[in-house]
Amino acid sequence: MVDNKPQYLLRHLNKLRWFSLLTVFLMLILLPFLHLYQTYEAAHAYDLLAPQEKLISDTMQALTEPFVNDPAEDLDQVKGNTWSGTLFGLKLSDPLAVVGQMAAGLTLYWPFILTALIPILLTLVLGRFYCGWICPATLLYELNDNLGAWLKKAGLPITRRRLDKRLKYLVLAVGLVLSALAGSVLFATLYPPAIVGREIYYAVALGGFGGGAVFFMLTMLFDLMVARRGFCRYICPGGALYSMLGRFRLFRIRRVVENCNDCAKCNVVCQFGLDPLHDDFGQECNNCSACIAVCPTDALKFTVKTVDVTFQGPGHLGQQYRKHQSAREPEAA
Amino acid sequence: MQRRQFIKLATGSVAAGLIPASALSARYSPGLRFLRPPGALDEDDFHARCIRCGKCGEICPNRCIKYFHTENGLASMDTPYIIPREQGCILCMKCGDVCPTGAIQKIDRELEAIVENVKMGTARVDRGLCLSWQGKTCGVCYRACPMPDIAIRVGRLEQPHVLKDCVGCGLCERSCIQIPQAIRIIPSNAG
Repeated sequence: MVDNKPQYLLRHLNKLRWFSLLTVFLMLILLPFLHLYQTYEAAHAYDLLAPQEKLISDTMQALTEPFVNDPAEDLDQVKGNTWSGTLFGLKLSDPLAVVGQMAAGLTLYWPFILTALIPILLTLVLGRFYCGWICPATLLYELNDNLGAWLKKAGLPITRRRLDKRLKYLVLAVGLVLSALAGSVLFATLYPPAIVGREIYYAVALGGFGGGAVFFMLTMLFDLMVARRGFCRYICPGGALYSMLGRFRLFRIRRVVENCNDCAKCNVVCQFGLDPLHDDFGQECNNCSACIAVCPTDALKFTVKTVDVTFQGPGHLGQQYRKHQSAREPEAA
Repeated sequence: MQRRQFIKLATGSVAAGLIPASALSARYSPGLRFLRPPGALDEDDFHARCIRCGKCGEICPNRCIKYFHTENGLASMDTPYIIPREQGCILCMKCGDVCPTGAIQKIDRELEAIVENVKMGTARVDRGLCLSWQGKTCGVCYRACPMPDIAIRVGRLEQPHVLKDCVGCGLCERSCIQIPQAIRIIPSNAG
């Protein structure tokens, strides 16, 4: 028998998730500054720096002094972005980068494939968690979605069309074929988290945003004007790959039908347009736990199971269930 | 549906404006003179291998590695390049260490390994522009070279002679005091 007691602490998981997203995003901003600091150190040219460069150098020195002896060398241990990065000497890559590169080169380069091993294993267990917990674009998209809610309150027409979720799998497949034909990793220039990481670096260290920033703004407009979180839901090839990998994830959210009162707040808050109210999470759920945080009766919780439960009927605290029960047992009611 | 047509037209024209027609071809080569980072594979393999993660530029202590937008064709977008006149490569070999895909091969930071494996290009002296060859002793390129007497040697009046072991790091071109520069790197990726 499954334990139906509500997991109260899980209500705060969403806050932890925002903390995680913010940490990743702030790291992406910090790393280019650290790189600048390293170059100043390597050049031994503190006295020749411009005032604002001195400010960068001083700030970064204050931040890193307790942790490093030789900034020019030691700070090399943390480099890159979520597309492909080095974290304390451990190389990690996005599985999409590996798949895209395999298609573009039509070869298997094992040192690179192994860098995606840890993310893939985590995805197999936790599902599409990357999209909810790490992706730097998610932070901006979620803020964008909140902005959309405000704009809607202000009376602007925010369109929320529903497209076919399977579109993103098509984008993934077509992208792989085109990568193979062009001999170039096409996802790299069109994948929002890769764009965000790169553009922050361009803006800080190379003096300005590149074309990717324009494309990213267009995807934000798409989310506002066409479909809610439309890029992640319907187009993102990385989301497609993570969804497929996370199809039989171990950790998934489940509705406890005894506690549910059919209020449908979970369906409203779910930015991926899933249907927790009818036990329909599916492979697209990114375990973001927003529905758990919003549920007034603590009817949603994590379980360890490889498949979703089938629809359990209306929630036992809801009117529909009560009517149904009283119709079945008139004497008891 | 007038509005829908307008949106289609607008997005179409915006897209056409963003992408110059000539940049659409993947193998478009506008004849830019640039170097790839040391240890980079040849152009086709490089495009297939590079995932545009930007770590090579982020680890470069000399800030010589920059990234293409669309000026070298769409296939080259966000790939690293070095313009030696702006900033030369100091052959620290960190970019090969950090590259996850082997688009930039890992090369040991030792003289023999570098001479053997790094082929960014070769320096060439324009004797009509070079001060030393015009009789005014200069020798700046020789002093800037990280491998003097291996990559470049000087003769009478410090006249530079590039040797066959030049790897094309670009420090000589960076330091040349003539404008325009009298020594420049002929990239090995130019084809």
